[in-house]
Amino acid sequence: MILQRYLHHITKQCLTRQCVIQSNYKQSYCELKHNYSTNIKERKFTDRHEWVVVENNIGTVGISSYAQESLGDVVFAQLPDPGTEIKEGDECGALESVKAASEIYSPVSGTVTEKNSDVEKKPGLINTSCYDKGWLFKLKLTKPDELKELMTEAQYEEFLKTDVEKDH
Amino acid sequence: MAQSMMRKIALSNMFVMVGLTRRASSRSLATGKNLMVKKTSNDLPPEEEITKSVFMSQSTDIYTNLALEDWMYRNMDFRKHHVMMVWRNEPCVVIGRHQNPWLEANVPFLSEKEIALARRNSGGGTVYHDRGNLNITFFTPRERYDRKYNLELIKRALFRGFGIKSIINDRHDIIVRDKYKISGTAAKLGRTTAYHHCTLLVNANKADLSRALAKRETNATPSTPSPVVNLSDLDNRVTVESLQTAVGYEYLRTPALQLEDGGERHISKQRGFQFINPTEDWFPGLSELKNDLQTWDWSFGRTPMFTVSRSFPVPSELLAPSKVYSAAQELVISMTVEKGLINDVTLNIPPGLVESGFHGEASVITHLKGKRFTSEALNALQDAMLTRHTSGDVKKLDEKEQFVAKCFDQVVNTV
Repeated sequence: MILQRYLHHITKQCLTRQCVIQSNYKQSYCELKHNYSTNIKERKFTDRHEWVVVENNIGTVGISSYAQESLGDVVFAQLPDPGTEIKEGDECGALESVKAASEIYSPVSGTVTEKNSDVEKKPGLINTSCYDKGWLFKLKLTKPDELKELMTEAQYEEFLKTDVEKDH
Repeated sequence: MAQSMMRKIALSNMFVMVGLTRRASSRSLATGKNLMVKKTSNDLPPEEEITKSVFMSQSTDIYTNLALEDWMYRNMDFRKHHVMMVWRNEPCVVIGRHQNPWLEANVPFLSEKEIALARRNSGGGTVYHDRGNLNITFFTPRERYDRKYNLELIKRALFRGFGIKSIINDRHDIIVRDKYKISGTAAKLGRTTAYHHCTLLVNANKADLSRALAKRETNATPSTPSPVVNLSDLDNRVTVESLQTAVGYEYLRTPALQLEDGGERHISKQRGFQFINPTEDWFPGLSELKNDLQTWDWSFGRTPMFTVSRSFPVPSELLAPSKVYSAAQELVISMTVEKGLINDVTLNIPPGLVESGFHGEASVITHLKGKRFTSEALNALQDAMLTRHTSGDVKKLDEKEQFVAKCFDQVVNTV
């Protein structure tokens, strides 16, 4: 009888411990996933109104909504070819709107892996969907530390407010 | 009057001061330390610290002038010194940065008349220049790029100097007499510097202008043709020289940021008119920029990918005899041109021509790939067809081959 109770106790303990471990494990996994989605995939901005989102060391670059609005209707996009090596701040293409050709500068250093050929065919995508379908090119980052120098979305919003103030 | 002017100046100064302090404080709150340092070094001076110059280029070579423009864009600091450059060229056609010269300009006509073709760095459409055009470039820091200000300034100069009334339309063209365009305008925006340039028709050769710009359909940045008029037709006092002087003085008498008349006193505070001699000695690196602009790879090779497709009716004597064909016998040639080089050729040979003994198809395609979209490609084509005649003694194309070669010539060389 005592033995039976003892065994029962042990198994119970064992089970609960396992449960605790499991739940701990689950939680940390969740946390990991959470960190991953917020920190690594965050959209970062430059003071020249380009954005970059990095996932698995591949950065996707585009221009901000503010930039798109001030350019007006984009009629032609000249994008860097895959394989091109670019440094942070380099001229790597141009967007032409009705009357001005505006240089594109890369927010980070890296090697271009892909350009958005949809945008080349239909430059209006930059106006209609600048954060999604209107991305410009992807590049493999060579200096991921450069991301720290860029603004977060909140900082960029603030920056826009001061920048717009300056214009008036 | 003087009192109100004084008050105005004082007020505007105060406004600038307030603006400055507010900007600085809000930025220090908003952004990181790094950014603040970066941005404050970029801060722009108030209007009264800006002086202006009118540069007059002594060159009439389009490549030199475009190189000078690019040199100034790359190397000069325009924060405290705004510059307007005036220049003119020997006959040439200037296409926008992302345009297709074969579709925008009449390339065969240009080579026949020895008219230069140049691709510029700014966007916009194709224009024709000769000694009867005045070209004006406005250089400012990017943040102070203001196309409207520049065009209004020209409008004011036309009225002050010659009493010519003009309007600026939605496309930012200067229009006289309701519909006639006298200007073409384009711009380039960079990281720190921007420039806006335009060309004014004073007494350009309008016949050459319209022939040089004859065009085909295009899917690259298209030009929008408009009816044009020469300013000298409106008032015969307008010459390139007198217009240059009028616009130059208007630029110097207008404050850098606001469109108001600063009068003679304002002119005396500026740096005035300066002759510029665009040579390598004065502008180190200029000749390299010029050489780049003159290369085929820049003028033609930078063309966005395009396709040309034309069909030619085959003359009945070339078709196989004693056959009746229901469909029209047409030779269709399609070519895809990438970076100025022929990339893909599709040849649709009508059955009548095949049956009469034309077999050039395979060699045509393999020999055209990678060739420049010029007469060079035609020579390659003719050579390819000739090599098939090695067995015979006669090294001459037969009629069918001549016909096909002629069709290719038309695709490449006619508008």
